[in-house]
Amino acid sequence: MGQGKSQFSEDELQDYQDLTYFTKKEVLYAHQKFKALAPEKVGHNKNAKLPMSKLLQYPELSVNPFGERICKIFSSSQDDMMSVFSQMAPKSVKAEHAFRIFDFDGDDMLGASDLKQVISKLTGENKLTESEMNWLIQNILEEADLDDDGALSFAEFEHIIDRSSDFLSTFRIRL
Amino acid sequence: MRRYTASRSRRESTVHRRTSTAGDVQVSMLPDLSEMRTNEETAWEEIMQIKAMPIPMSQKKEMKAKILNEPNLRLQGYEQFKWRRRKMWGQFESRLRESLHKVELWKGALKHIEGYYGTGVVTFFLFLKWLFVLNLVMFLFIFLFITLPTILLDLDKNTYCSESNSTSCCFEKYFNETLPQNNIVLDLVQGTGILERTVLFYGFYSSEVLSYMAADVTMYYNLPLAYISAKGFKERLVEGEGQFYQYCNLIFGGWDFCIQEEKAANMKHKAIYSEIKAILETEKLEEERQSRTRNEWYKIVFSRVVVNIIVVAILGACACGIYFVFNYSTAQLETFQTNSTEITTSESFQQLLYEFLPSMTIVGLNIVVPFLFKYLIAFEKYSPIIEIRFTLIRTVFLRLASLIVLYASLLSKLSCDIENDNLSCIKCDSVPTCWETFVGQQIFKLLLTDFGTHIVITFVINFIRSLLAKHIDNKFIKFIGDQTFDLPKHALDIVYTQTLCWFGMFYAPLLSLMATIIFLLLFYIKKFACLVNCTPSPIIYRASRSNSMFMVVLLVSYVFAILPIAYSVSELTPVEVITAGFAIPVFIVLLLLLYYYSAVNSANRHMVVVLKNQLVLEGHDKQFLLDRLSLFIKQENQKRLRAEQLREGIEILNLVSKSTSYICGSSDF
Repeated sequence: MGQGKSQFSEDELQDYQDLTYFTKKEVLYAHQKFKALAPEKVGHNKNAKLPMSKLLQYPELSVNPFGERICKIFSSSQDDMMSVFSQMAPKSVKAEHAFRIFDFDGDDMLGASDLKQVISKLTGENKLTESEMNWLIQNILEEADLDDDGALSFAEFEHIIDRSSDFLSTFRIRL
Repeated sequence: MRRYTASRSRRESTVHRRTSTAGDVQVSMLPDLSEMRTNEETAWEEIMQIKAMPIPMSQKKEMKAKILNEPNLRLQGYEQFKWRRRKMWGQFESRLRESLHKVELWKGALKHIEGYYGTGVVTFFLFLKWLFVLNLVMFLFIFLFITLPTILLDLDKNTYCSESNSTSCCFEKYFNETLPQNNIVLDLVQGTGILERTVLFYGFYSSEVLSYMAADVTMYYNLPLAYISAKGFKERLVEGEGQFYQYCNLIFGGWDFCIQEEKAANMKHKAIYSEIKAILETEKLEEERQSRTRNEWYKIVFSRVVVNIIVVAILGACACGIYFVFNYSTAQLETFQTNSTEITTSESFQQLLYEFLPSMTIVGLNIVVPFLFKYLIAFEKYSPIIEIRFTLIRTVFLRLASLIVLYASLLSKLSCDIENDNLSCIKCDSVPTCWETFVGQQIFKLLLTDFGTHIVITFVINFIRSLLAKHIDNKFIKFIGDQTFDLPKHALDIVYTQTLCWFGMFYAPLLSLMATIIFLLLFYIKKFACLVNCTPSPIIYRASRSNSMFMVVLLVSYVFAILPIAYSVSELTPVEVITAGFAIPVFIVLLLLLYYYSAVNSANRHMVVVLKNQLVLEGHDKQFLLDRLSLFIKQENQKRLRAEQLREGIEILNLVSKSTSYICGSSDF
């Protein structure tokens, strides 16, 4: 811990504690993990920006099909990322970020093309046939698209997340 | 509905946020702060709110600095005190959480398992941990309120033995009669000899303490039940709602962000894929079922009936088997007891074998019969989920029924002997003194056998199987050796252990201590089974659903464990009558409570359906109205356009007519 402590002043730690869902100790621990990805770089500058390839070496991200998306979403603020995935973060914050991760084309709606990408990322190497994919997307929209506009808005997405019993337990990375 | 619009407006604000540039963001974020913030407390609250905003850390810091730099009103007097206290409390809470986090049991192990198997399997281990803590708490209560007073009040035991037929006299005699004669290891395993006279068993406790104990123990029984029933039903409720979003749940909650192992990730991809396929398949099956001909339908019903009859027959056979084995072994033991004055080692070994015969039979049946069930269910043509559920229910029935049979045969033996002698504690031939202790011993033995089997199966049989599968590349051996972590089975294992504990707790109060130790060790055994013996399973175990499944199974087994005790307490009361009068009403109240919960549950479910339909209708209404509105606007526009055109046309016409008249007039002239 001693080494990590020297990189942060007490005020900075207080800032992190106030502004994220972490306690001071957890912030230090998270930073240690961050440092472990590129020791020499982060050792010089604690706010060093790492390229995506380096960041994707983080064990949970490396196997995550949405790893790249997560990096992109948090690229401007990666020091915030672990906090969102922590257990203490409320559902609404998680839903907000999840929506951005799933929204591939960035149009603030989860349309059929977004869903298609999400599903194909989820199944990985095992490909669904075209008809199966369409059928699945149609079912999802039938379930959740309450205003019948062929896409999920954030309100609809949040509604689903509220009902989804698994989301909170899965959308989480243990420190 | 209000919530809906609120979140929507929030969304709009975030949309706005994102489209604007970074510099604008802060301005748009802080529009009304100056009027809202009046003192330190609100400033602090605002800083807390910044947490939830989806903006980079550097901006958050700036915002915080801005809030802190602006002049704040200082709170006065009591307000100041209140706010201080609140802040201190918050700090204390976070510090407490941090230190609790540090001492959290098995944290590393849980994370490790999560990385390999995902959250579904981890819920099993959390459940195991929960049971461990539950038993620890129960043990502490029992130790403090029952065992400790007994030890402290040890002195005035003898004074009560004036009348010959009271229980207090019973243990007096009992202490004199059960002289330690076997070797210690055997005693420890069987729960006889020295152990029999310790605080572990009912016989130790004097009647006075027992009367308290009856009341207390019922309380301890109620404690977990209340918790389980509430929690179980709450989760079922959530699960019920989740059913409406089957597909969305799969897609948006499908990936486990905790997974960090390449192999596990591949497995997860495959699992999600097969889950999607399975849903497709069920949908098809559903369609097929609806188009089934009458003939096919009859066939399936027939096969189901036959299978169910076979299952019942198997259960009956098991019950008979246990009953006969029990009678046989007790008969053998009796001959040992009557014949022997000197016990040789081989004889004592035989005796041990007979002692353990009933429990070994039960545990053996528990292992073998589920395979039969699994084989049989294939004939019934259920969908996969129902298939798992049915096998589970049948296995639960098997385990609980075998327990009840054991209990019944114990009681039948005891009650007949008691009737013959008319006295509860005089030793006739072979009747064990203090039947409660005897029952406690039986359960003690069963618990031990069960635990021993876990060890043997995990560390010997399954370990060898997995070694074979890993190192020998052969189809047949792979078929035998490959194991997946069968969550329902393992859950059933630990629930069974818990049931045994509840079952015996009345007769051997400190069984909860033993259960605590067993659960502590079981965690490591199951971890070994999970991480070393098994490969990730191709079936998705949902965290929420599996948790509710555990709770339901626990609830069922709990009711089964409590029923015979309630019966025996009311029917075979040793001396005191208090217990009988107490237990039955409590039980009825609990049943009513259960009924109430289930009624509330179904009502809420219905409400959810209605509300969801309403929401959809509402959406359609909105769409319809919007369409109408746009149509109307379009028509209006067209009308106006046409009117304008008309007016223009008229003007032109007028002009034309004027000009023509002018021209005409001029030409006239």
